[in-house]
Amino acid sequence: MGLVRKQAPEPELPQVLDTDELVRRLDDPDPELRREAALELAGKPEAVPELLARVGLETEPRVRDAVLTTLAGHDSEAVAAGLAVHLASDEAGLRTAVAEALASMPVSTPALLPSLLAAPDHDVRVMTAMVLADLPHPEAKSWLVQMIAEDPHPNVVTAAIDALLPAASAEHIGVLEAAVLRFPDDPFLAFTVRAALPRLTGTA
Amino acid sequence: MAGATTSGALSDADFDRFVEYFYKRTGIHFSSGKRYFVDKRIETCVRNSRYDTFASWFAALRMNDKDMLQELINQLTVNETYFLREDYQFDAMLSTVLPNVLAARGGVNRIVGPVKILSLPCSTGEEPYSIALRLLEEWEHIDHVDVEIHGADIDSDVLAKAAHASYGERSLQRVPKAWVNKYFAPVGAGRYQVDEGIRSAVTLHRMNVCDTAEMRRFRDFDVIFCRNVLIYFDELSSRRAAENLYGALRPGGYLFLGHSESMSRISPIFTPTRLPEGIVYQRPTGAK
Repeated sequence: MGLVRKQAPEPELPQVLDTDELVRRLDDPDPELRREAALELAGKPEAVPELLARVGLETEPRVRDAVLTTLAGHDSEAVAAGLAVHLASDEAGLRTAVAEALASMPVSTPALLPSLLAAPDHDVRVMTAMVLADLPHPEAKSWLVQMIAEDPHPNVVTAAIDALLPAASAEHIGVLEAAVLRFPDDPFLAFTVRAALPRLTGTA
Repeated sequence: MAGATTSGALSDADFDRFVEYFYKRTGIHFSSGKRYFVDKRIETCVRNSRYDTFASWFAALRMNDKDMLQELINQLTVNETYFLREDYQFDAMLSTVLPNVLAARGGVNRIVGPVKILSLPCSTGEEPYSIALRLLEEWEHIDHVDVEIHGADIDSDVLAKAAHASYGERSLQRVPKAWVNKYFAPVGAGRYQVDEGIRSAVTLHRMNVCDTAEMRRFRDFDVIFCRNVLIYFDELSSRRAAENLYGALRPGGYLFLGHSESMSRISPIFTPTRLPEGIVYQRPTGAK
């Protein structure tokens, strides 16, 4: 008993499975096998259609997250578009997971933004603000400012304000105050801005 | 290669190209704020190579020269650490995590197989040896339960140093004198070597936490320390690392991150658990 002296052989690499077998495993009843298969399909573009199809079908959140991690690694416009349709899902877990995946795709997600910012469903625009909150892109703040200044729905504007605030500075005071004036009947929005202003004006 | 002429000097375009290449191979991303650091390390790599310009060195590197890539990784990864660093997490391991692990695995007398602990990245060995010291000195069950300690790092140079396990006084400053006398032997020039019994109990591996295929070798760990490394990764690499750490843990196993790191911004697959000493992340027990 006590500390175990090291064993001589390194643990062996598990068997490498071909793409077809990994794709088949995406349907395996064992969620751990599905999760591992999804991760091992990283860098295999031929598996993208099957992975995209799994996003809406997979019921285990940890498997879905593995599928999304692998898809995000492709960071292509086709993948981003295939994921973005789920921003309108009724399932909160799915649309949040997809928003996080899109936020880790800085090459291809920006191309979707014009259509996402103009989406008729304001819930999709709320999720778009969530994507922009974490998207490592030099224009992310500008898009959030645009949402705050122009979006007609107070929930979208509040989501965009929440997303902008961690990175906001004094230059954003004007657009925040204007948002309060645009929605005088929304106390939550006004409260959010009022709470943030002292830090931005340096009077906190 | 445009703009690259003498020694390791990099043009802006070279820097961008290099950063993209290094990210693809390791998952580690350097922003332009790290430009000076990267330039200096590349300069060293070019100087140590048989090439006389960045362009020729980089061309050879991209031809999949594994030795060159490993030297580059060794240069560009930060390995400064010391014994018993952030030891409130070792307190948590002893007071809460290991008792929970034992309870979940049937108790001291019925546990099957060793308790497995992984330190990743282990750098020059201070962390896995610190874990060994704390267990030997302070864990009441160490004589009744087998414990396997593993250390892993992407940098082969630091692994060689970890295997040699010789440390200066700065690295040992937090280690009680009595422990130094008991578990270390002076080897000259103010350095002390960890005794053979502990060295032989820590298994070292070269491993990239972002590499899913490599990480599949690691399974069924009860506790993983992965501290102060995810902060170097971008979102996607952090997600990959989180998935791989999840796969390396036993259901119910515990993950310690660095004090400034949070899994909640990386992945929702772990369950955060608040302990008196801070947050630890757990692979859900319901997950097979």
